[in-house]
Amino acid sequence: MDKVEYTEREMLLIDPKPGTAAAAARDFGIDLSLTVSNLRLTPEERIKQLDRHVDGILALRRSLRWISRASERAT
Amino acid sequence: MKDVERQIRLVGEFQIECVLVGGVAATVHGSSIPTQDLDICYSRDSANLIRVVAALRSVNATLRGAPKDIPFILDEETLRRGLNFTFDTDVGKLDLLGEVQGVGVYADCFENADEAEMFGYGHRVLSLEKLIDAKRAAGRPKDLIALPELETILEHRKSGL
Repeated sequence: MDKVEYTEREMLLIDPKPGTAAAAARDFGIDLSLTVSNLRLTPEERIKQLDRHVDGILALRRSLRWISRASERAT
Repeated sequence: MKDVERQIRLVGEFQIECVLVGGVAATVHGSSIPTQDLDICYSRDSANLIRVVAALRSVNATLRGAPKDIPFILDEETLRRGLNFTFDTDVGKLDLLGEVQGVGVYADCFENADEAEMFGYGHRVLSLEKLIDAKRAAGRPKDLIALPELETILEHRKSGL
């Protein structure tokens, strides 16, 4: 995977200064590299990416339900 | 084509006068928190209610969470008698809001909206500042969780001015 290069402005989110909203978000547990990736996209691209993420989450949930049912049958 | 894209296209195709709010508005502004349903604050004038009804009928909308035996007639009069509605549709969950907590009714949202071109249509999206107000006013855990990232995006935007 290629190494992501950040602009000086984006680095304010990746490595935020103390006391900023970005620092608070990072400490809250937000992965701000995802936010930076989103901010590079157009609004339409952000929606398409959202749909892909939701699809992935739903597929994962279906898999977990299948695994759960399979393990119930096995016991 | 996926659900949220199809929902946004539906709003554009039927020329519904509305402002995108909620989680999809947060996504448009750059949030990474996923959401599945589209929340819109809609104009309640007659011509728009007719368009909303036509759009909802085209995707077989049914009331979400209501027992199946409760009669519900999807027409302009029903929308006029209510304010907020939650629907299941062929293109996913679609919520109509007559009022947004912390912001106000459609006219207030309209005044505080940005414009975004998506999927061939111009859409109005609640401004980031007002979206933060709305999330804070709603105060549910899922709204409060979104705040740190939205405030970061706002700070980032202001730093670029």
